[in-house]
Amino acid sequence: MFDAIDKKLLKAVADLEGIPKGAYNIRKNGKLLGREISANIIIETNEAGTGIVVRINPGTLNESVHIPVIVSQAGLHDVVYNTFIIGAGSDVTIVAGCGIHCGGSKSQGHEGIHEFQVEKGARVKYVEKHVAMGEGKGKRALNPTTKVFLAEDAYAEMELSQLGGVDQAERVNMVELSAGSSLLITERVMTDGTQTAVSRNEIILAGDNSRANMISRSVIRGDSRQDFYATMDARAKCFGHIECDAILMGNGSNETVPSLKAKHPDAELTHEASIGKIADEQLMKLMSLGLTYDEAVNRIIQGFLK
Amino acid sequence: MLEIKDIVFSVPDLDAPEKGAQKTIIDGVSYTFEQGKFYAITGPNGSGKTTLAKLIMGIYDVTSGSIFLERKDITQLGITERARAGIAYSFQHPARFKGTTFRDLLSIAAGTEDEDKLAKIVARVGICSLDFLDKPVDSRLSGGEIKKVELATTIARNPRVAIYDEPDTGIDLWTIDPMVRLLKREQETQGTTTIVVSHNRAFLSAADTLLLIKGGRIAYAGDLDGAAELLKDLSACGYGDICEGESDVRCHR
Ligand SMILES: Nc1ncnc2c1ncn2[C@@H]1O[C@H](COP(=O)(O)OP(=O)(O)O)[C@@H](O)[C@H]1O
Ligand SMILES: [Mg+2]
Repeated sequence: MFDAIDKKLLKAVADLEGIPKGAYNIRKNGKLLGREISANIIIETNEAGTGIVVRINPGTLNESVHIPVIVSQAGLHDVVYNTFIIGAGSDVTIVAGCGIHCGGSKSQGHEGIHEFQVEKGARVKYVEKHVAMGEGKGKRALNPTTKVFLAEDAYAEMELSQLGGVDQAERVNMVELSAGSSLLITERVMTDGTQTAVSRNEIILAGDNSRANMISRSVIRGDSRQDFYATMDARAKCFGHIECDAILMGNGSNETVPSLKAKHPDAELTHEASIGKIADEQLMKLMSLGLTYDEAVNRIIQGFLK
Repeated sequence: MLEIKDIVFSVPDLDAPEKGAQKTIIDGVSYTFEQGKFYAITGPNGSGKTTLAKLIMGIYDVTSGSIFLERKDITQLGITERARAGIAYSFQHPARFKGTTFRDLLSIAAGTEDEDKLAKIVARVGICSLDFLDKPVDSRLSGGEIKKVELATTIARNPRVAIYDEPDTGIDLWTIDPMVRLLKREQETQGTTTIVVSHNRAFLSAADTLLLIKGGRIAYAGDLDGAAELLKDLSACGYGDICEGESDVRCHR
């Protein structure tokens, strides 16, 4: 079912050595490559045939769904619309991710438009890794859009990473939180060469006692560019925090714009942002433990992006 | 044995009215630290204790003079090479990271990721708990916690020469004595030349030799009793809190 390139990509984006355990849907070059459902997790192609609907039955506990996407066909731009309905009281992990292998000179890309309905009291962990590889010179683009609606007391944790090979990325995350719900987004992006990555985040704290925490870490090597925008829009008694740090390593550039909007007197919003080179004191510490300058730089970056 | 000979460290004096003026921070210090002995360095804020330690670690380059480790001239060696030659330094103000954990630092220091070996080191250090291993060494650690982490990473190197720069800052009263005992034990069992910068009587009285630094010079070297009069003077000292100053690690590349 998988060729050597598929296997490499699946390992990189979903940590898969073969067929995943539990429910899965593997998409390759715009087509379904394999699907498995479970008693509690139903996966169907949507009506328009443009993507899938994943339904998690209420009360489903400790199950996972893998939905990796592979783009290895020259010149292909794959667009997919996926919907996830996470039933009340369930607790599940969804592992998504897209791997591009580019062997030619034509550009290749993937646009995943994901919508999550996280129902009352449900907990979901969403892990998304983006990777591009291959010796081809074509541009590799990944433009994901994720919309999340959290019902009362729901919880979503989103772990988003793009650690190499992607030439152009435009990410949009939109989340709306109802009363008592909470959100944790961690985003890790590394760019190099002339790559560009933009991340736009719009988080609406609509319900009382909702909590949102957005953590973004960027490493900008070479002449690459990364921009980060995040807005916490507080419309109730809530708590919101944005933490965004960017490390500049070459001649790259970065724009970081955290934005806090309090539209309720009991809103509590904070942010911390930094852009800069690796701190000398960190390098000196690791060198005093016996590492060379370059080894120290690598260890600091590794920890930062972990 | 660590020998420093006539070391001088001057920096451009930015406050001076005339251009190109120099400020001398370490003003001709010579001393021989015998292998396996315990030294305490004390002196007023801003007298040059941290600068001296950083000159030994290679974090600053001496303006003149030389440094020998076991008779080998290490004056020209960078931080990494001095670390590998057996010198370790616990910073007065330890660096904080984002994401890097105590485990990461400890395994770099010890040169192993082996769980058992790391646990053994933590047990040997005693004052930091095992649950600390996976904590990031970031701004959430308290002043005392980060000093314990810093000390543990120095011990994990099994150094020939260990310099602890005010290891007791932020440490609770009950941990000071265990800390003194720990450094004594390391000195005795590993033969580590131990140099502790401190104002704390517990460290001063644990030392074989006390060095008093004033104005970038050694004002006294000898036992604690002989320093009693000089130390009394110091209690009236009016130096404010002194920052670490700046340094550019990129020179050491
Ligand atoms: N790199 C530097 N550049 C300029 N001034 C420095 C530098 N390092 C230390 N100093 C100054 O040297 C003096 C001694 O500092 P330090 O060694 O930190 O003192 P101590 O550790 O004894 O309190 C202080 O006046 C400090 O401001
Ligand atoms: Mg000092």
